[in-house]
Amino acid sequence: MNNLKIKKLYALSSEKRKFSFTLPLRNKIRIGKRDYVVSLKSDEKYGTYILWKNRKYPVEIIRSRQNSYEILFNDISYTFTVETPFSMKRMKVLNATKKKVEQESIKAPMPGKLIDVCVREGSVVQRGESVVILEAMKMQNEIQSPVSGTVTRILVKPNANVMKDDILVEIKVD
Amino acid sequence: MKIKKILIANRGEIAIRIIRTAKQMKISTVAIRTAIEPNAMYLEYADEIYDYSEDLTEIPVFLDIEKIIEIALNTGADAIHPGYGFLAENAYFANKCLENKLIFIGPDPDTIYKMGNKTIARKIALANGIPVASGSEGNISNEEEAIALAEKIGYPVIIKAASGGGGRGMRIVRKAEDMEKFFMIASKEAEKAFKDPSVFIEKYIENPKHIEFQILGDKFGNVIHLGERECSIQRKHQKLLEEAPSSALNSELRRKMGATAVKIAKAVDYYSAGTVEFLLDSDDNYYFMEMNTRIQVEHTVTEIVTGIDLIQQQIRIANGNALNIKQEDVILKGWAIECRINAEDVQAGFAPDPGKIENLSMPSGPEIRIDTGIKAGSSIVSSYDSMIAKLIVKGKDRKDAIKNCKMALDKVWIKGTKTTLPFFRMLVRNQKFLEGNFTTAFIEKDIEKYYLNSEYEEMLAAWLATKMFVEENLEENSIQVDFENGKEMSPWLMNKRMNQF
Repeated sequence: MNNLKIKKLYALSSEKRKFSFTLPLRNKIRIGKRDYVVSLKSDEKYGTYILWKNRKYPVEIIRSRQNSYEILFNDISYTFTVETPFSMKRMKVLNATKKKVEQESIKAPMPGKLIDVCVREGSVVQRGESVVILEAMKMQNEIQSPVSGTVTRILVKPNANVMKDDILVEIKVD
Repeated sequence: MKIKKILIANRGEIAIRIIRTAKQMKISTVAIRTAIEPNAMYLEYADEIYDYSEDLTEIPVFLDIEKIIEIALNTGADAIHPGYGFLAENAYFANKCLENKLIFIGPDPDTIYKMGNKTIARKIALANGIPVASGSEGNISNEEEAIALAEKIGYPVIIKAASGGGGRGMRIVRKAEDMEKFFMIASKEAEKAFKDPSVFIEKYIENPKHIEFQILGDKFGNVIHLGERECSIQRKHQKLLEEAPSSALNSELRRKMGATAVKIAKAVDYYSAGTVEFLLDSDDNYYFMEMNTRIQVEHTVTEIVTGIDLIQQQIRIANGNALNIKQEDVILKGWAIECRINAEDVQAGFAPDPGKIENLSMPSGPEIRIDTGIKAGSSIVSSYDSMIAKLIVKGKDRKDAIKNCKMALDKVWIKGTKTTLPFFRMLVRNQKFLEGNFTTAFIEKDIEKYYLNSEYEEMLAAWLATKMFVEENLEENSIQVDFENGKEMSPWLMNKRMNQF
């Protein structure tokens, strides 16, 4: 990448919020009319943390894939893709031609044993409806559909052991 | 004291909790080292360690009745404290202890059996005029019977496992069409979890509060109650936050419910510490749900508001001493809140998130009590529950306790797994919670986001993502990293690199 031409970077959250940062990246963030120093630190007792307005926040980089980063900040995880002005533009063009997501894959949020599949292929499900029951750490977890739609494919059977992120059910979004 | 040495048939924070009181009572303790957690924190507290770490069987030793008895006999322990979970409510185990002339620190095996079987407990309650939700007299054998009964008492109904607990083998049925499916699921789950497929049916009380009373009884028939605990903040029937007292009770209702709790305990000749659980509806009607014949996770909040050490009472009673507290001596003072800090991913519907705790630092102060069996370097293993620590905070009143809790939550520092902390940080700012206006449906129905969402925190996280991107892609003299497309990287590897910034 040619670092001379890039003046700005954008961090796009998975919920489509956009945060822009000018380059070279400063260790200050402006809020209203004031700049606040932000610093990334690490020590024996606390591990890695961000210091901001005299408070420490635990941070972790959980995953990094190409330009996508999953950050654990104060125990909450956020996923961002970092885009340059060029890649932003390209993305906009791509998005304009691409159709909306029609297919939703429900993945296992944790490794465990599948207790029950509550739907059949062809079932109509509402958002929030349980699709499978997964047992992990002595707890039965009902995995709910994030969308309303029709079940197109069931990829698992009761009593199967699944790994994290295994696709369990596919749903055609209404 | 007859009791000179106690075998702790448990692990984690409750093992440490029991040892703490035993020490004060000059009783020595034995803890068991297991292969799963050979360096666990509780081992540092016991006077003696029985090393069982050679054994690699999958079933925890804490569930192995014969082995626990053998260890007690071999180490010369004269009593066994089962803690909670594992064998704590196993009547057969309690009886085995007695057969081997070991004191079981808990109630009589017969009491455990009666209260452990929900259908029998229900019958006892009915026979003693204790209010219960309308439902089946005994177990229900098939879905036709279930449907017929549900028609009679009216939907919604709840199917419960006769030998159940902890929310397993439980299903709410709102219409007849669903009965067949849910009856089967509940029965299957019950069979699996408790080796007993029997289920029964009760009218489902919509949006109740979960209120439980702490009971103490001795072997001479004296029974008192130590007030209530508010345990309505639950998900999947598992408690997350408990309070004592409850803002839903006035002194008259407390007296009435307390008397009912004592009555049912007396009906089964209860001795030791125990808990009577009720559902309380919005019209102040209350229904007996079940009795837990063990020390509970949330016993701490009762200890704070009454000043009574419940483990000490359990040991005294097991030793054969008469209660040294009368009902009129029990005075509730102040307010206590317990937050269960578990290794769970709040953003993934409280899915367990086992792993190694890298850093851990807990607040301290006169208002704060921390019960934990985890330190930096410990692992939360998937064989056991996901608890990291109990944060217990007190205050003059509810408002004060919540204020102290809010401050304490910001001082808890845990790295290595995701935790329930973001949930509590949200909760102590939630208007309905602050008003005391919540039921067991709170988590599922009344909150939109399970965690505190701060705009600034997200922005700071975005800054960090951008910083990583810059380091990896734009800076000419950046440190070399194993950056491979599509390959997952360990955060700990990242950490090492970040330390060099």
